[in-house]
Amino acid sequence: MNLERLPNEEKLSLCRKYYLGGFAFLPFLWLVNVVWFFREAFVKPAYTEQLQIKTYVKRSAFGLLLWVAVLTTWITIFQHFRAEWGEVGDYLSFTIPLGIP
Amino acid sequence: MDLLSNKWIVNVLICCFFIGVGCNSVEKKIYVHLNYTVPCVRLLNATHQIGCQSSLSGNVGVLHVLESEDNLDWVLSKGPNPPYLVILEAALFTRSIMMKLKNGSNRVAGVAVVAPNTNPTEPFSPYTTCPNENTGVYTEKYDPAYAHCNVTVWNPLGNGLAYEEFDFPIFSLKDDNDTQVIRQCFLDHNQVVNGSAPQYPLCAMQLYSHMSAVTDTATCMRRNDINFSISPEGVCDPLGDSNVWASSRPINTTQKGHKNSENVIIAAARLDSRSFFFDIAPGAQSSVTGFVSLLAAAHALRNATQEAPPNRTILYTFFQGETFDYIGSSRMVYDMENNQFAVDLDNVHSVLEVGQVGLRSDSQLWLHSDPVSRRNSSVNDEVRKLIENLQVASKDLNVTVNQPQASQPLPPSSFQRFLRARPIPGIVIEDHQSVFTNRYYESMYDNAEYLNISYPSNLTADEQLEHITETATALTEVATMVARALYIQAGGEESRLPSITAEARLVTRMLYSLLIKSNNSWFQEIIPSEFMSRLTEKPTNFYVGVANWQSSEPTFLVQYLLANLTGTVVNVTKEDCQHQREDDKDKESHHLYHYMWVQGSVPPNGTQRESFCVRSTVHLSKALSPAFDPLKEYTSTEYSTWTESRWKTIKGRIFLVASHELEMLTLGVGVGVLVTSLLLTYLISSKADILFSSGREPTNATY
Amino acid sequence: MTASVFFGCTFIAFGPAIALFLFTIAREPLRVIFLIAGAFFWLVSLLLSSLVWFISVQISNKDSAVQQKGLLIFGVVLSVLLQETFRFAYYKLLKKANEGLLTLSQEETMPISIRQLAYVSGLGFGFMSGAFSVVNILADSVGPGTVGIHGDSQHYFLSSAFMTMAIILLHMFWGVVFFDACEKQRWWAVAAVVVSHLIVSCLTFQNPEYVASLVPTYIILFLMGVWAFYSAGGSLRNLKLCLTCKDKDFLLANHRPR
Repeated sequence: MNLERLPNEEKLSLCRKYYLGGFAFLPFLWLVNVVWFFREAFVKPAYTEQLQIKTYVKRSAFGLLLWVAVLTTWITIFQHFRAEWGEVGDYLSFTIPLGIP
Repeated sequence: MDLLSNKWIVNVLICCFFIGVGCNSVEKKIYVHLNYTVPCVRLLNATHQIGCQSSLSGNVGVLHVLESEDNLDWVLSKGPNPPYLVILEAALFTRSIMMKLKNGSNRVAGVAVVAPNTNPTEPFSPYTTCPNENTGVYTEKYDPAYAHCNVTVWNPLGNGLAYEEFDFPIFSLKDDNDTQVIRQCFLDHNQVVNGSAPQYPLCAMQLYSHMSAVTDTATCMRRNDINFSISPEGVCDPLGDSNVWASSRPINTTQKGHKNSENVIIAAARLDSRSFFFDIAPGAQSSVTGFVSLLAAAHALRNATQEAPPNRTILYTFFQGETFDYIGSSRMVYDMENNQFAVDLDNVHSVLEVGQVGLRSDSQLWLHSDPVSRRNSSVNDEVRKLIENLQVASKDLNVTVNQPQASQPLPPSSFQRFLRARPIPGIVIEDHQSVFTNRYYESMYDNAEYLNISYPSNLTADEQLEHITETATALTEVATMVARALYIQAGGEESRLPSITAEARLVTRMLYSLLIKSNNSWFQEIIPSEFMSRLTEKPTNFYVGVANWQSSEPTFLVQYLLANLTGTVVNVTKEDCQHQREDDKDKESHHLYHYMWVQGSVPPNGTQRESFCVRSTVHLSKALSPAFDPLKEYTSTEYSTWTESRWKTIKGRIFLVASHELEMLTLGVGVGVLVTSLLLTYLISSKADILFSSGREPTNATY
Repeated sequence: MTASVFFGCTFIAFGPAIALFLFTIAREPLRVIFLIAGAFFWLVSLLLSSLVWFISVQISNKDSAVQQKGLLIFGVVLSVLLQETFRFAYYKLLKKANEGLLTLSQEETMPISIRQLAYVSGLGFGFMSGAFSVVNILADSVGPGTVGIHGDSQHYFLSSAFMTMAIILLHMFWGVVFFDACEKQRWWAVAAVVVSHLIVSCLTFQNPEYVASLVPTYIILFLMGVWAFYSAGGSLRNLKLCLTCKDKDFLLANHRPR
């Protein structure tokens, strides 16, 4: 879909859909939203709906950062301590590496 | 290049269609694969992992043939091209060198040991000094004075290497063409002259032995059970196999538990052995001498027990996995305690175990007994009677039996597991008074050569099979004595003793089959035809292996030996024989007997083997540690918890490695060519209009 | 060896070809199609020659070294002849296709000239033959070892890569010269292409004396390059103009919309 050809109202509703969809534990929707609407929100000359698009993009970006932070922390902790946790570590793993603790 | 390309494509096509993948002439130019590679593999128990491990893609190291221990600092500090893959002559495969390599392991990629064709003069035992230290009867609870081999260190030559963990692969190579190639490659490329570093390209080796399991048995058994991942695969399997047993009188095996009228004497021997490496465990003195004597004794007793049956039953048992914390005997005792075996412990009258008996000095045998249980007077009386019986049995024979010091505990033996359950009278027959006389206990050198089993060079395979060696004669004496002792211990009449004699011809055949090769004319006769493929041209490997649907090589061999030696030929059709019955109305016999249809021999003027049915009381019983099967206690201190890791590839190859500089040069030239051609093409294509303008239109490169 | 050798050799062998593809072919769909079609024609020729090779190996005496060597020479010659036959077949096909294209297009001129076709199809041939001659080697260059345990030169990978580069470029030049010769019906030029192809292929019999095969190959490559340059419409005057940056005046002088 080419964003250029869309009327402004539809841009806004699309942006809102992506923003709301991200709450269903789908941070990638927020990522898409941020990348896709960045120009619309911050680069394009102002128009009525831009203010709302701006807030959605900002919030999506914030949510995305939160996700990234949380996931990075968890992955670091998990990778570091999986072997130490022993049984718990094994049950939390989806694939258990062969030949290393 | 066209030529080469065509050749290769054609090669590849042919390979893909007719041979399969993995045939490539470029690869052949680079790598030489080693044909005979025996790895050291990872084993785990409740607390530890032992053995060796390579990385998933194999460990690569520059070859270094170690000449002496002083030479080690080239590998550990001085050499400029680490990591090194150390080639050791067998004489240098010692604890001190191996531990130095282990500690310098960031400079050691692996070790390959060249197994010699003849045994070394030095003693070598990679086993511990106190075999099965914690699972025998001598625990702190039983008697603190005897715990941890406090009184006798049984295997003082043991260096414990087989119980170390190495984080690099260790392979054994046979001293043949492969090792010649390796040595030549080392001499051509890697030899250090006057301490200066050798020039690239260097000869290197890659060893693959990546093990899936890690840490301990509890961890790997847990990971076996977790299978919600994409590709669930097991990582380890418990060690175990089957015990082989037979009785002098048929016992109903379907009815488990106590049998009122039975009173059995257990005649035991152990079946397995091990060495540092995975599939070389010849175990000649450690186990073969003992169980061959017992097999010959069982054969000697066949007629006597049928013609004049003594009032007690003799139970010939061959325990598997004894090397690994008494897997077989602990399982049998567990089954007896839980009414899972044909008899229970109340039925057991006494135990007579045959241990290592191949290396007698002055034809002496030593009768070991347990000083702790003999403090009980009734047990002591029974043990004394048993000793007397053995002394009676040794009369007229070239064997003298002696008792070691009264305070000396039992050597490592299956009998210990019975004592652990309850004080049962029993004796362990060994050829050593105190510490083992075996200089190669549980090592790859404990082979036919060590027992002095050799044949005149002009004999054919069949003649060798029949050639009676001195060792066979000596073991026959032991077997006769054991047979006679068992007969009177079972309540038989002393007057019949002279008629009970073991056959030297049989003993020598068994030794040949087990220690030289099992694929011989005699063994072919005594097995069913469907098992012909299990006979091998090599000495039998007595490593117990993992418990699976097929019994291991030694179990299989002993099962058929025992069946033929104690069983009788019955006139039963092939079909009935294979259905375990005398005739088609017979529903009872299979509780008592085991029938097998063996190939038989080819008659002198015939071409077809004359097969027949053998009926025996031979049975297999599970030899899987109770820690795994019913209990699932993977941290048990009572039972064996040994598991063997799984692996995917075991292989080794040698090749040359180029210097880092040459590799970087190649990359640099490549990047240079790419950048130059990008620039040039850009220039040409941007000016193509001018360059190719004489014609009507631009051609070669437009824009 | 290692990944660095793999990438080094890949860049050497395919660097020029990739550059040419990126700057001159990738942007025009029609050229991409003709490139792939050219590669396909080369593949068919290879299929035929491997079929013949396969049969003849089966019926030959595998123990006789002389016979196997003779068979190899026969296979090479046959393969070269087949490749050139398919080049001719492709030329014929393109002529037909071009006529068809002309009737389809609304414009007066053809969407792609026969010279461009020559270049594109030559590169297609080169890509495929280059890939087939070096992919095996590249696959083995990733492993830890280098050639030489049986006493071969350790510059095997490097020289193979350079040979492949030469072959790819040669196929391109051959394509240009061959098509041009066919257009002008100069059959001696066609013969020259076939002969030089034969010579280059037979030079690889010199291996493992890599210098003895690489140096003559690069000489032939240079000569063929010059020839191709001229037959593609280049000239010394153009080159001079180009190098002295007089293109602006030149363009003004020959103002001509493209």
